[in-house]
Amino acid sequence: MMRHLTEQELIEFRFKLGADAEMGLASEHLAECGHCRAELEKLERRFSSLDLLRGDVAVSEDLVSRVIEQASGPRRVKVAAARKLPAWAAAAAAVLVVGVLIMVANHPGQRKGREPVAKGPEKGIVAPEAELTSAPGDKSGLGATAVMAKGIPDKPPFAPASAIELVTLPRRDNVQLTIYNSADLTLVREKRSLTLKKGWNWLQFMWANTLIDPTSLSLEPKEQGDKIDIQQLVFPARLRELGRWLIRSEVSGQVPFEITYFTSGLSWRAFYMGTLAPDEKTMRMQGYVRVDNASGEEYENAQTRLIVGQVHLLDEIAELARRQYAYGRPGGEILMEDAPVDESHLMKLNGVLASAEVELNAAVEWAAERKEIRKEGLSEYFLYTIEGAETIPDQWGKRLLSFEADDIKVDSLYKYDEERWGDQTIRFVKFANDKDHNLGETPIPDGEVRIYGQAGADGSLSYVGGTSVKYIPVNEEVELDLGPARLVKVEPQLMEFKTANYRFDRQRNISGWDEIRTWKIEIANTRALAVEIEITRGFDTPYWTLSEGVDYKKHDATHARFELKLAPQTKRSVEYKVTTYHGARTQDKVQNTEDRIQNTEEAIQKAAVK
Amino acid sequence: MLDSDKSLIDAHIGGDRRAFGELVRRHGDSILGYLVRMTGNREQAEDLFQETFQRVHEKGHTFRGERFKSWLFTIATRVAIDGLRKGRRQPVVSLNQSFGCGDGNCDELGAVTAADCCDPSQEAEMAEQKEQVRRAVDELPAKQRATLVLAYYQQLSYPEVAEILGCSTGTVKVQMSRALRTLAQRLPDVSGVAK
Repeated sequence: MMRHLTEQELIEFRFKLGADAEMGLASEHLAECGHCRAELEKLERRFSSLDLLRGDVAVSEDLVSRVIEQASGPRRVKVAAARKLPAWAAAAAAVLVVGVLIMVANHPGQRKGREPVAKGPEKGIVAPEAELTSAPGDKSGLGATAVMAKGIPDKPPFAPASAIELVTLPRRDNVQLTIYNSADLTLVREKRSLTLKKGWNWLQFMWANTLIDPTSLSLEPKEQGDKIDIQQLVFPARLRELGRWLIRSEVSGQVPFEITYFTSGLSWRAFYMGTLAPDEKTMRMQGYVRVDNASGEEYENAQTRLIVGQVHLLDEIAELARRQYAYGRPGGEILMEDAPVDESHLMKLNGVLASAEVELNAAVEWAAERKEIRKEGLSEYFLYTIEGAETIPDQWGKRLLSFEADDIKVDSLYKYDEERWGDQTIRFVKFANDKDHNLGETPIPDGEVRIYGQAGADGSLSYVGGTSVKYIPVNEEVELDLGPARLVKVEPQLMEFKTANYRFDRQRNISGWDEIRTWKIEIANTRALAVEIEITRGFDTPYWTLSEGVDYKKHDATHARFELKLAPQTKRSVEYKVTTYHGARTQDKVQNTEDRIQNTEEAIQKAAVK
Repeated sequence: MLDSDKSLIDAHIGGDRRAFGELVRRHGDSILGYLVRMTGNREQAEDLFQETFQRVHEKGHTFRGERFKSWLFTIATRVAIDGLRKGRRQPVVSLNQSFGCGDGNCDELGAVTAADCCDPSQEAEMAEQKEQVRRAVDELPAKQRATLVLAYYQQLSYPEVAEILGCSTGTVKVQMSRALRTLAQRLPDVSGVAK
């Protein structure tokens, strides 16, 4: 009799892990050895505990749906770390890439038929697959009962039977973006042809990785509206960033739909380029609009409209878009089946969209050869429509020409005001947004302005200065601050200071006095052009008088302004004596002024009597 | 007549979404069961289940017509081992975690009620033993665990397991033997306990 079997041999025998010969020997031994049989039984009892985990595991329909939905999205692209290639290999790869690009560029048509599945943003919308067969109904009793009227059950399905019925739609037929400048808000209206089956249809809309506000979604058939009814929009439990519309259709086939929603992440800004004529009396101005797309969605051939003006928003769209669930869930996550949204809320939102639609509904005609930005006034806003269609890929920006105007009359003006700019002379270009200046058709939105001058005989441009402008309404004047000027100098000098006209109170203390200052201002124009200069002087008190014979304008209570013209490469000086009144002397000044007014009025009355 | 797995995967590659759904339904239970036993956690298993079929969706074109089930289990094994490697952590068992509710007989560790069993103390003891078994299986190295689950629970032959794991039948037997020897020391003696 051979030795007893080890635990390993017993395991190998029990689970048929050994060679046939070994199995045979172990079997023979076990037939004869009670001890080993007992050990084997003990082991089997122990291994039978493994069966405690043997219960069947079934896949839920929800999990199946999720898997299928996931697979219906675009295939993931694995990005492999680039290995360091030898220089010749890199060069060969570069040549190959260039070659492929050239081939692609030469055959753009081949790309048309490509499946949109592989394209990120197009993953957004899926709709029920076309099932052109009518829904099963009681044909013999057609129309006889309300339940199966026209073959469509009155009661809608609780949820799509399976996500397997959802397929990717064709591309958008067209899309229109209305971008509001004042808020992070864009109204998107897109048209897509959905293939409906007769009966109940589920349309699924996904907004993962975008900044779409799901509370603003709206769907409307553009044809056969009397036969198609959008019943509800639901946000299925546990499925994030998607909503499903329930559509009752009495027709089967393709129907154009308009889907409307708000998104965040699209913005636009205006900027301008002005080129001064050599004599700086006129300017050529070009206005541009730059549209930036960081919405997570690519908008192909989008008609783009830009809104200037303030919009009152209750919510931040970006925040709404980033919500875990479309409508939030007070009290934490509640697992619930497809739950209809608050219809009143939806109607309210649809109302907002509808009013926005009415307000922004400007006719679009594509006629001109070159793209232009058309402008239209609305009640509170101004609407700029970029002609034609523009593709604005995600994370890209695009610059478009807004307007172009020649021979805009401008005034070059230099200003000196120590309280505002210290001892620097600041250069301004002044014009008006009106017909006289070849402008005035529309307001000019906020934006950056850069002014160039023509330098040298060849007319090459040199940067003169830049600034930002606020919204310029029609017929309003604007001054562009071009920054410090070095060729026009203003240097005030205090020539004399004295006090006079002291007043004393009962204790013989000084209660009032005058301060008299004599100033000399030297102005030098070293430019080859004549200039206008505006010098503003402040006195820190409203009680002041300037010496007789000085040409000035009272700018406000505490400031006087001198306006001068200087011929090219000339110098000039201005002298003035300013008396300021302090303490009790201010009352004398007031009294003197009142006396003067009274005398003037009396003189006027006398003249009237005569 | 049922479509073959090959024809379904071909149809899926051709854009037929129903074919993919059919594949998921046809093999879903066994794949999910495998992943639940590999991870010991239903939620994690469902995540890996989605990942597995996502890879099937993405790699469908690489299927050359060999046995689909083996190909599918190969993917699931890679996904499971990757998932276990990434999410290596102390196993946490929720009192409400269920390990198999598909048969309508949900056995939740903490939800032992008088109505579920004629003897509450026996039921509690069984739950405890089940947890002990789970812990013993969970503590096996990933490859040994995969071998055990495929061979014992999925009842695949050793050559089939070898094909899935991409190794020889001998290696599978060695892995199985090591796993069983370890389990023999750790498994509870369930004599007298109703299953």
